Amino acid sequence: MSTRSEGFIITSSPHVFASTTTQRIMLAVIVTLIPAAIMSVLYFGARVLLLYVVSIAASMATEAVVKIARGRDWRSITDGSAALTGLLLVMVLPPTISPVLVALASVVAIFIGKEVFGGLGANIFNPALVGRAFLSASYPVQITNYTAPRPVFSFLGSGTDAATSATPLSAARFEGVRVDNLDLFFGQIGGSIGETSTLFLLIGGIALLAMRIINWQLVVSYLGTVFALGGIFYLIDPSTYPDPVFHLLSGGLVIAAFYMATDMVTSPITKVGQAIFGVGAGIIVIVIRLFGGFPEGVMYSILLMNAVTPIINRYTNTTTFGSVEAQQGESA
Amino acid sequence: MSLLTFKKGVHPPSSKEATAAKPIERAPIPDTILVPLSQHLGAPSKPVKSRGDEVTVGEQLSEAASKISAGVHSPVAGKIKKLVDKPLPGGKMAQYVEITVDHEATEAHEFERQDIDLSTLDRKTVTSRMREAGIVGMGGATFPTDVKFSPPPTATLDTLIINGVECEPYLTCDHRLMLENTRELLEGCRALHAAYNFEAIYIGIESNKPDAVEAFEKEAASFADLPLRVVPLAVKYPQGAEKMLIKALTGRTVPMGGLPLEVGVIVSNVQTIFATYEAFFYNKPLIERVVTLSGAGVNSPKNVRAAVGTPLEHLVEFCDGISEDVDKVVVGGPMTGAALPTLDYSVAKGTSGFLFFTEADYTPEGPCIRCGRCVSACPMNLMPLKLAAYAKAEKFEDAKALDVNACFECGSCAFGCPAKIDIVAWIRYAKNYIRVKGL
Repeated sequence: MSTRSEGFIITSSPHVFASTTTQRIMLAVIVTLIPAAIMSVLYFGARVLLLYVVSIAASMATEAVVKIARGRDWRSITDGSAALTGLLLVMVLPPTISPVLVALASVVAIFIGKEVFGGLGANIFNPALVGRAFLSASYPVQITNYTAPRPVFSFLGSGTDAATSATPLSAARFEGVRVDNLDLFFGQIGGSIGETSTLFLLIGGIALLAMRIINWQLVVSYLGTVFALGGIFYLIDPSTYPDPVFHLLSGGLVIAAFYMATDMVTSPITKVGQAIFGVGAGIIVIVIRLFGGFPEGVMYSILLMNAVTPIINRYTNTTTFGSVEAQQGESA
Repeated sequence: MSLLTFKKGVHPPSSKEATAAKPIERAPIPDTILVPLSQHLGAPSKPVKSRGDEVTVGEQLSEAASKISAGVHSPVAGKIKKLVDKPLPGGKMAQYVEITVDHEATEAHEFERQDIDLSTLDRKTVTSRMREAGIVGMGGATFPTDVKFSPPPTATLDTLIINGVECEPYLTCDHRLMLENTRELLEGCRALHAAYNFEAIYIGIESNKPDAVEAFEKEAASFADLPLRVVPLAVKYPQGAEKMLIKALTGRTVPMGGLPLEVGVIVSNVQTIFATYEAFFYNKPLIERVVTLSGAGVNSPKNVRAAVGTPLEHLVEFCDGISEDVDKVVVGGPMTGAALPTLDYSVAKGTSGFLFFTEADYTPEGPCIRCGRCVSACPMNLMPLKLAAYAKAEKFEDAKALDVNACFECGSCAFGCPAKIDIVAWIRYAKNYIRVKGL
């Protein structure tokens, strides 16, 4: 028989909770990226492994330093979000990039992209893309120096010549050269470290959808808009514009759709808002790819839509159950 | 066919296994009971007895102080030792009547079955009987039942919903009552139907209690005169919330800030119906109810029929005590119940359970990552993350503009929050501020 009858914990209801934590969500995203990360090491060699280590370590260290400088708890680095930023950053950089630039980009990603806003949850822009945008503005040569991967899947597709160093998009845009879509799908093309293998990114992305960590509304609206708009231009003039499947499989659109546009902090809250984000980003991708000065528009499509996300959030509130608006919606 | 339900909501583990199969046991009457005079929503009742008075079983201790109020009756025979001020769960102070029990007289008292002519029963008789018996909603909200059953003359009331959903984890008191008192519940329905002539009487039960559904279906044969519909519902929290239950069963939407009567419906918990049955057929006021004692920290989890005013310490003893590592005690269900600092509380009309937790989860709040899980969970289709953020920033007008007052604090948002933000507490803060300041 217990003698204990007082001193119990007092908290507000509820008193039971789902097992989901921020850390678990971040870890789940990291885990689903591992197949594509392993493929990138097979494609581009062991130096890529070094880049991952440098980037993740630099990201976590930057966050720890900023937290200590601000007198906050530096153990927030264990929430997994800094590690995820480091991982994603490497995956969207070219395989020839130097470890020093990777470290520099990581510092910028975490410091400028996240911590100056107040850390996790307060940032407006996707930190990894902030890091990449910094390199693309400051080191434009180094960030466009692509090499072709080793022919891991040479038995498939056309087995593109290993000397091809331009990315398929810049080849299409500036040289009028097309690569085989099957090579794109398996990643047998020049491109960023982690974005080349569409197949493995899809596996991870579908796992994220299944775990309900990301919503299909954003992914489908983004990819769908690129496909539809790209398709319209292709039908208008197939000799000038690439086909829509090529649009989907190239330029890191897949990794962006599943892993960057869907970043919870920097994308809209509601599914309606996310669909708007996806359509907007899709339009920007096609406009930049077909009419802009860059061959590739995915990075800016997301950063620009990140910037308008607070406005989207403001105008896409849900309608309360039983409210006049909700009832009008029901009877309509 | 898929089961009826509402949109959104969450799936907490049911945790009902410990007590679901345990028949209701009558808790022994202790030597002293402490009956709170505020066991209902609305004004505290006014005592009509004072220190030293002798009372008998069922005798009135206090009377309703206003329309939204309810009288309280003595569940025992004995002598009033004193009237004391003590906190209710949640911290509000209330008057309690402390009664020294006369066990012999208490045991000797019996409520006798009365013959009532249902054909003469009218609404006025029904509601005044409810009021005399001090009946309030026993699902937890404790709204005076007679007020609920008094529609304004303009309202068209056609539907009665018996709420047997019991969607809160751990609790099995309603489940057991439905199994063990099926016939009595339907007799209660018959009496109400005689006065109200409903077009439909739904009995809504979550499909994880197929034995209860079956019990009603079996008994329904002898109640062919009633427009009964026993409906199994999808297992989802908060299926038992009034507005969600009405939506699932009838498709009707209660307007924001409105009452079920506005869509022609009255929802009543099974325990309330049982109390109503006893009031009609035994002239017995609401002086006891079924309570579930469960959770990892209680040595013998039980469903007990306990007198109102039974001290929690006494029930704990009846359940062979609690373990030394109990760190949280909750009155009610784990999703909406209040945590108790001590065991110094009593059973009240709205007490559905006492839960004893040993590894209470109290992770500190992290930053909101805007994952939207709370939005996907909210049965009222609110934006809990924004409401919590507005409350933190003391932007109460903004919270009000996003309908913070429509929140009924079911806890679905905070249940699934990966950042462990105390969303319900923040929302409650905003609602209280708005109410007190009259914004």
